[in-house]
Amino acid sequence: MNECTLRAAGLNKSYGTNHVLRDLDVVLEPGKIYGLIGRNGAGKTTLLGCLTGQNTFQSGEVTCGGEKVWENRRALERICFSRELPETVMGSRNSQKIGHYLNAAMVFFPNWDQKYAEALLKEFNLDPKKKIYALSRGQRSMVTILIALASKAPVTILDEPVSGLDVVMRERFYQLLLEEFSRSERTFVVSTHIIEEAAAVFEEVLFLDRGQIIEHAPVDELVDQFRYVSGLAEEVDRACTGLTVLSTQDMGRRRTAAVRGGEKALAELSSYDVDVAPLNLQNVFVALCGQEHPQA
Amino acid sequence: MRGTLNEQSLIYQQIAAMLEDDILRGVYREEEQVPSTNELSRAYNINPATAGKGLNLLVGEGILYKRRGLGMFVAPGAAEKVKEKRRAAFAARYVAPMVREGTSLGLSGAELLELVQKALEEGEQP
Repeated sequence: MNECTLRAAGLNKSYGTNHVLRDLDVVLEPGKIYGLIGRNGAGKTTLLGCLTGQNTFQSGEVTCGGEKVWENRRALERICFSRELPETVMGSRNSQKIGHYLNAAMVFFPNWDQKYAEALLKEFNLDPKKKIYALSRGQRSMVTILIALASKAPVTILDEPVSGLDVVMRERFYQLLLEEFSRSERTFVVSTHIIEEAAAVFEEVLFLDRGQIIEHAPVDELVDQFRYVSGLAEEVDRACTGLTVLSTQDMGRRRTAAVRGGEKALAELSSYDVDVAPLNLQNVFVALCGQEHPQA
Repeated sequence: MRGTLNEQSLIYQQIAAMLEDDILRGVYREEEQVPSTNELSRAYNINPATAGKGLNLLVGEGILYKRRGLGMFVAPGAAEKVKEKRRAAFAARYVAPMVREGTSLGLSGAELLELVQKALEEGEQP
């Protein structure tokens, strides 16, 4: 399985003067579900494109199992990057049928599972004869999810797979993902803006901010480094010495601080007259990456 | 097991606590099998690694044990071990916050003890 470790080293990618990825390093080990989280314009889709040989980059290296990915059929066959299907192609509406995309996937992915694909078509109530432009946004998401799952590619990447789905389908998607993961131990990378409902599905999470991976850790280990501390402002300040204060919010004499620290430093909070509460993954992300737009 | 997870503590700790509750209630008895990593993953829509971490926490404490190729089972004396562990944490988890709250309300030590005594007496009535 080690042959499917996906690795980027020193990745730099610019569009003109826009430096999207900056000396980015990341290692994705086989057999895990990764969550990729970043704000709009952080470079998520660009990164996923670079990792899967669909985007060029100026410098750095991307390898899968030690082999360069770019224009390397052997490496690319192990990777599925199921992108959102375009509504228009070259300025006119996309009148390809669902079946066309499935046939193309069947040809490209050596492990393609036709039975699984048919079962998912039925479950999603998709008609292969239907044209892409006639589908709703949610239905187009379902097609990309279907291709990703049925590709059976050892490394499968889904970019915003739930963006058009209603809440019931989103839950169903995470169920399907976990079922397939339990069966196959494939590697999945899932990017999403709807963080909290996906947090428990991820084993490790990657925060992408301004072209760099600023956090890469198991979800619970990351979340457990953070606390909200609130109470009388001076007492909160006393309690927070020795911790990294990420943001504070005042309301009269009351102050709430989002802090980060080690297990020992956080345990000492209990000796002050303050309320201590946990953060969820979404709170942690906002605390770390939401600084230009403070919530105040 | 309870149907839902909350955001108050880490998921693997909640999984461990739920299994402990069920061992105390007799849902899972000594030498009986508990749900597998994949069953827990499916039931709660959580990553199998997280479910596994919860199970392994209890293995580390001797509350569950592994049978190779079969799964996880409730260890002999598990319920007593859970009780011992919770008794050890009882003062910090329940008594200390109660005393802190009582003190901040101006209750004296004697008044606090009296309240505990009263609650005990009320608890004894059928």
